[in-house]
Amino acid sequence: MSFKLSRKWRRTIISWLLLSPLIILVLFPFAVMLITALKPPGEVLRPNWWPSEFRWSNFITMWDATNFGRALWNSIYVAFLSTAIALVVSIPAAYAMSRFRFAAKGFFRQFLLISQMLSPIVLVIGLFRLVVWLGLLDNVNSVVFVYAAFAIAFTVWMLQSYFATIPKDLEEAAWIEGASPWQALITVFLPLALPAITVTAIFAFINAWNEFVIALTMLRSQDSYTLPIQVFSLVAGRYTIEWHHVMAAAFVATLPVAIVFAWLQRYLVRGLALGAVK
Amino acid sequence: MNRSVLTNPYVLIAPGFFLAAFIILWPLYELGTIAMSDVNRFGQIRGYAGFDNFLSVFRDPEFLGALARTGVWTLGIVFGAILIGLPVAMILNEDFYGRSVARVIVMLPWAISLTMTAIVWRWALNGESGLLNSGLRTIGVIDTNVQWLAQAATAFPMQIMIGILVTIPFTITIFLGGLSSIPDDLYEAAKLEGANGWQIFREITLPLLKPFINIAVVMNTIYVFNSFPIIWATTQGGPANSTDILVTYLYKLGFRFGRLGDASALSIMMFALLLVFTIIYVRLAMRGDDK
Repeated sequence: MSFKLSRKWRRTIISWLLLSPLIILVLFPFAVMLITALKPPGEVLRPNWWPSEFRWSNFITMWDATNFGRALWNSIYVAFLSTAIALVVSIPAAYAMSRFRFAAKGFFRQFLLISQMLSPIVLVIGLFRLVVWLGLLDNVNSVVFVYAAFAIAFTVWMLQSYFATIPKDLEEAAWIEGASPWQALITVFLPLALPAITVTAIFAFINAWNEFVIALTMLRSQDSYTLPIQVFSLVAGRYTIEWHHVMAAAFVATLPVAIVFAWLQRYLVRGLALGAVK
Repeated sequence: MNRSVLTNPYVLIAPGFFLAAFIILWPLYELGTIAMSDVNRFGQIRGYAGFDNFLSVFRDPEFLGALARTGVWTLGIVFGAILIGLPVAMILNEDFYGRSVARVIVMLPWAISLTMTAIVWRWALNGESGLLNSGLRTIGVIDTNVQWLAQAATAFPMQIMIGILVTIPFTITIFLGGLSSIPDDLYEAAKLEGANGWQIFREITLPLLKPFINIAVVMNTIYVFNSFPIIWATTQGGPANSTDILVTYLYKLGFRFGRLGDASALSIMMFALLLVFTIIYVRLAMRGDDK
């Protein structure tokens, strides 16, 4: 037995030491969020780290105090519906991109790349006028419409890169067996594409869930606020801020999405990378 | 095979294409019209104004301040994220105990909405009750509270720091992809030749990572240039517009000051600039395609 550390252990200690400043900086806001959310209201403004007790009931009082339920419902509605609309138009487009050669294909690819890069913020005044003209100001459906349209570039890009990995032979075999293109699509292609569609849908959902500028501009009253706007409205331009409620709301609004994202992250990277090389 | 809409690619891409094109082209047309018009604060057009709105943007000292800060903001975050991201990616590419846990932690900021991150930092940076001050006092770095967000001299560097922190995950993801594409035998050959760690980094890792670094620079430039929530949710560009960058200044022009003509002219200019960045990106990405 030797007391010398093995090479791997030595590498482990050095790696963690080198990473520790970044890791502390990353975890710091999470610690702040959770500790503040659990402080008794009287201790929130006292700058000590450890509360005298963990007040779990903050999460319950937060629900009514921050109008959380309404905002949660709005966020679910907006994220779900905009994702569904984006998928309905993106799946056929991505299918065409991965299965056919056609003259406008290169143009469409470039169009997708460029529109994926454009942020809504530079168009926000024009979008605002469009929404006013449609009579949809302060209506969550305006946000649904804008999110769906802006998600298309991303969803087509992700889907076509996955669709291209599904061999065409299977559909062709079904055609030879006498299946119509529709039958082949529904019984052969779609079941194989389902995992890719699910992953893409989840990312589009998370994007919509987290979006800020468009919602801030189009939604004008508490009844239509989505979660980011609702939480923002609790801290913007107020003299007294109930920080324990704000942090509890931010925590609940963030955690489920963060877990799903952390879990599925590698598919995002793979999809974007596939799209870039195919 | 019988004819079906499924065999016509143009029918298949049409709905997606028209919806995506509509949401860009209609607002762009509106912006172009207002930018060239004399317009009141309610958006009513009173006449043709030529390039007056564009000139009026350039005459505004606030615009020049925001423009300069956008440069600092973008360069600071893009290069900060690369300088930190590259060594971190190289560490995460090595095999050590707990690596997958370390990866998840480093990637966490990507999973959180920027709005929520910024709101939490706003509270952590609070002068009297913020946990950053009390943490720094405990370990003895400062002895009086710093009012982090009350003046631009401390607020803006903090905002850049938050920006770097949330940009690192995406940057590392690109670098990890690049590092895994470098064949191991190259490193082994270099070691046999007697190269040291620094030489290996200079002669092998860095040159082979260059295309990935390019992509990270261009994509991060686009994202950071457009990034709105960090500054808006911490200081709203204040105090006295001293932390405004172009996107927050644009938002104030349009929705606070009611200077719609100026705001539209600025939007058009920013749109043109973004288009240039994007064309650079498309060139880089397509060059990878030809191989």
